[in-house]
Amino acid sequence: MNRLAHDELLELRSELLRITASLVESIPRATQILLDQDLEGAEYQILADDEIDSRTLDLEDRCVALMALHAPVASELRHAVTIMKMSADIERSADLVVNICKVARRIHGIQLDPKMRGLIGRMGTQAQILFRHAIQAYADLDLPMAKAVDDMDLFLDYLHRQFIESIFESHSAGTIDLAVAIQMAVTARFYERIGDHAVNVAHFVRYLITGEIPPAGDHRRGGRLGEADAEVEGLVQ
Amino acid sequence: MIFVLGLLSGLAAGVVSYLLFVASSKNNSVVIAEQATSVDDEQPNENLESLLLIRDAVNSLSVGVVVVGTDGTVIFRNKLAESVTGVVHSDVLVEEVVEQHLSAALNGETKRQVLDLFGPPRKVFSVLATPLLIGGAVAMIEDITERYLVDAVRTDFVANISHELKTPVGALAVLAEALSQEDDFDIIHRLSEKMVDEAIRVGRTIDDLLELSRIEFGGEAVKDEVDAEAIISESISRVSPLASTHSIRVALIEMPQSLKVVGDRRQLVSAIGNLIENAVKYSEVGSAVEVSAEDEGEWVEFRVKDFGLGIPARDLDRVFERFYRVDRARSRDTGGTGLGLAIVRHVANNHGGEVSVTSIEGDGSTFLLKIPKYVSGKQSIMRESA
Repeated sequence: MNRLAHDELLELRSELLRITASLVESIPRATQILLDQDLEGAEYQILADDEIDSRTLDLEDRCVALMALHAPVASELRHAVTIMKMSADIERSADLVVNICKVARRIHGIQLDPKMRGLIGRMGTQAQILFRHAIQAYADLDLPMAKAVDDMDLFLDYLHRQFIESIFESHSAGTIDLAVAIQMAVTARFYERIGDHAVNVAHFVRYLITGEIPPAGDHRRGGRLGEADAEVEGLVQ
Repeated sequence: MIFVLGLLSGLAAGVVSYLLFVASSKNNSVVIAEQATSVDDEQPNENLESLLLIRDAVNSLSVGVVVVGTDGTVIFRNKLAESVTGVVHSDVLVEEVVEQHLSAALNGETKRQVLDLFGPPRKVFSVLATPLLIGGAVAMIEDITERYLVDAVRTDFVANISHELKTPVGALAVLAEALSQEDDFDIIHRLSEKMVDEAIRVGRTIDDLLELSRIEFGGEAVKDEVDAEAIISESISRVSPLASTHSIRVALIEMPQSLKVVGDRRQLVSAIGNLIENAVKYSEVGSAVEVSAEDEGEWVEFRVKDFGLGIPARDLDRVFERFYRVDRARSRDTGGTGLGLAIVRHVANNHGGEVSVTSIEGDGSTFLLKIPKYVSGKQSIMRESA
């Protein structure tokens, strides 16, 4: 690849880091918006997603153009593919952040009990930690850190289960009605999915560094995600 | 800031001349050799020394500095600007703003922006980019988090103290007015009871304010030998009527015998009493509060643990401020003055100790108060208050 294409690849890397940084920053903001039921903040965050959408689309277009025009090979090809793949996960995670803000609007005026509030805060923190580590692993090409993101996700899954239990407790105690209980259940799912996307990003970082795609069983799309669904279904039954 | 800009102009001029020197020496050594015969041999070295001096000076600034040439290429970045936050995603966001502003500065525009990063930890930066006279531009990144938070504390304090004092006084005025026009004995009785409640409330706030002033400006610190268990027992008995009302069990966890601290007994009882009272007020009916003291080297660590509402993460840093309320609506029901934890912090400071809190919303909170331990035969380790 020529110098120009190489510079473009570096520019794409910087842009991906910037978009991911915006996402990492938005996760705790969305959590606070949800806890405060801050309508103005929710509106702002929802509108801000348009920019992330257009930037990720542009990023993908530029990756395609780079591959079509300059035919990168080996690590540079992997890097271009990785950026394209990761940008899809980041864009989807930003949508999930928006969904959390929309829940803040739907439950406006509802008092959540402290245990649920605490668990929402902890899920938000853990989801952000996962993405922070994923982006750090990408920025530093740090293989051990990329691998660690998998393990960190287990804690988010644990919090997800705890939260689902607390929803049932609160609903049984009559502190929240069915509509709010459902909103809370989907919120838990949003955080859990953000964690899954962070794991995906970390897997792409592993691929970028080693050239090997992590084993299918290790992958969230076909692996533990199904278990999380089963957990929720088990609780519902 | 003007001094910094002057320094940076010097640096930019130095950098440019140094780059010219390096470029010419690489590209055309003959020219350099010719110059060497006609120009003072010491000149390049002096320039280099000056440049290194300016570089060191700019590196020692507590402001991040980025200098770009006319084509936008970064020609200097001081150490602080390499990683202003130490966290990758925050650094990336700061860098993005710096680049945008430098680009505007290269077009002759001076731009400033305050960047409030959620973190955690929350950080607030001021980014200023301005064109340089000799071409190029400079950006300065300043961490204004502390200033920003201090401003917030001051603004909130004025608002809160007005609220805490004006609300009961306003209520008293309204009640007194209603009372003066009332003939019905039952209504007069009810209004009078409310007046007494409001008067007690404002009286309690004034008492706490006076106690806080006494602790804050109380003069020479008392350095008595005080028994830790006695402090806890006295504090618990002070709070037990309130705890009984809420059916909350306040338990003293087993602690080492003859554990003693250095300090003012009255202040320490006030501090531990306030911590226990706070724990009781924010616990569910029928739950428990645990109080303990442990020997930790030079310190005695008092812990007050509750299993109540807990404190939201973003409020943890602010609960020791005067009149700060996590939940204003609820705190009026609890009857607190909003000064209890501020008193605890001042007592800790007076004793050269510290107070901190860990909490998970919904799971409860643990307050930790560290006070210097008394060791017989040894000189007191009590530090001067901060």
